[in-house]
Amino acid sequence: MRLGTVIGRVTLSRAVPALTGARWLIVSPFTREHFQRGTQTPPGLSKDSSVVIYDNLGGGVGQTIGFIEGREAAMPFDQPTPIDALNAALVDEIYYNPFSH
Amino acid sequence: MLLARVEGNVVATRKHPSLEGWRLVICQPINLTGAPEGVPQVAIDAHGAGMHEQVIISSDGSAARQAVGDEKSPVRWMIIGIVDEPSSLS
Repeated sequence: MRLGTVIGRVTLSRAVPALTGARWLIVSPFTREHFQRGTQTPPGLSKDSSVVIYDNLGGGVGQTIGFIEGREAAMPFDQPTPIDALNAALVDEIYYNPFSH
Repeated sequence: MLLARVEGNVVATRKHPSLEGWRLVICQPINLTGAPEGVPQVAIDAHGAGMHEQVIISSDGSAARQAVGDEKSPVRWMIIGIVDEPSSLS
């Protein structure tokens, strides 16, 4: 699971049958620098490219979420579903204490 | 599998039901000298890894699903062991 900030939403007018009515978020993934800045300050866009995440937890713009990437993202579905990123947690709090060399 | 250092944890009330009761630990992948390498991953932890401990994390989703006991869980990264001798790495 990686963390990221929800920066937008997407709606689809047409989609494969398995994905009709789905909710989609655009998420900017956290890099190490984002963790170091914490959740208080607006994290801003990360250098990593943003990803579209399937959402069934009800994430909103500005929230921090934990998302799963890869084949595992489609595991909760009964039928084969062509997704590779899933919102798995709405993050309430991050305790981060970077190790200094 | 990646060598990583525990740098924190995450609290989430609303999450996939299979993650209920699991520690969600922020693991920063590191190289042989202990310097951070790549982006932090949040892994489930059954071993009680402490802050700044070195661990091995695995992306084997199948094993992680077995660990949480839910074949439909999306869980992927899991701490599979705590490194014994970090000094031998530097």
